[in-house]
Amino acid sequence: MSGYRFDRLRILVVDDNVHMRKLVITILQAFGVHQIHEAGSGESAWEMVREINPDILILDWVMEGMSGVDLVQMLRSNPLSPNPFVPVIMLTGHTSPEHVRRARDAGANEFIAKPVSVKTMMSRLAAVIEHPRPFVRTSRYFGPCRRRRQDEHPGPERRATAQAAQ
Amino acid sequence: MARQQPIELFMPPNMLRAKAGGGFGGVDPAAIKRAESAMENLKGAFAGMAGDTVCALTAAHRDFAAKAGPASRAALLRAAHDIKGLAATLGFPLMARVAGSLSRLLHEAPEESPLPPKLIGAHVVAIQAIHRQTIAAADHAPTLALLAELESQVGAALKA
Repeated sequence: MSGYRFDRLRILVVDDNVHMRKLVITILQAFGVHQIHEAGSGESAWEMVREINPDILILDWVMEGMSGVDLVQMLRSNPLSPNPFVPVIMLTGHTSPEHVRRARDAGANEFIAKPVSVKTMMSRLAAVIEHPRPFVRTSRYFGPCRRRRQDEHPGPERRATAQAAQ
Repeated sequence: MARQQPIELFMPPNMLRAKAGGGFGGVDPAAIKRAESAMENLKGAFAGMAGDTVCALTAAHRDFAAKAGPASRAALLRAAHDIKGLAATLGFPLMARVAGSLSRLLHEAPEESPLPPKLIGAHVVAIQAIHRQTIAAADHAPTLALLAELESQVGAALKA
């Protein structure tokens, strides 16, 4: 068998629209993911995260009550979070730079702009497996490094420490 | 330049790669084909899948028309947003664009300003009609003309 061992991964899909959940789950099943859990709200997803400790979350931004952005912030910073490093792929119909910046600032690892395509889903899954971003901790932010490329930052270097745990 | 605050940068252990592997096989083309085939099957069921999402939009619009406020406006925006994402993904681009136009109006108009009820209603009716007639083509002329008018009026309403 070639490709990733998706059968070993536990993925939580969070969307308040049952059809969008079904669509994402259909793609994941075709990829060979067996352990798929689903939640219809941010609140129930938070409960489920603590119960099953997923390897990856795929979640919608716009939901009633706790939004996808709210949930990512809880995953990253709440002491009850079982894994603050869990990769989060954010599904969004918002594609403006301002919206992408907000989700990135909340701690999302990757984005999928709707319409969802099979190839985009695979590329985002491969990205969180193959190219995880380093994490940053400041007084106001904890999450994946928000610099996509080192040469994008025009200001002075302010990082105090840079260590590789791998 | 003096540092203003400490910033810690570190690389967590890559547990995903340890679990799912990678590097040797990479992406499995057969998995992509399976998923694309499954998506095509879902597209065939779009009319049924969209039915209750359009019903949810209709109900949210009814609530908003009865009592406009932040909660009913947010519910209407969520419903429009759902249709935008679902329709675009399952091959109904014009329905997605009408829902996108409605989303833009609801999202970008200032909270305190009253929204034009007829313009909102026209979007909802257009989405219902596209669903009822199962208009999947991106070049359906009457719908494109309607969409252009809706988008133009949304632009004007947001400038006012």
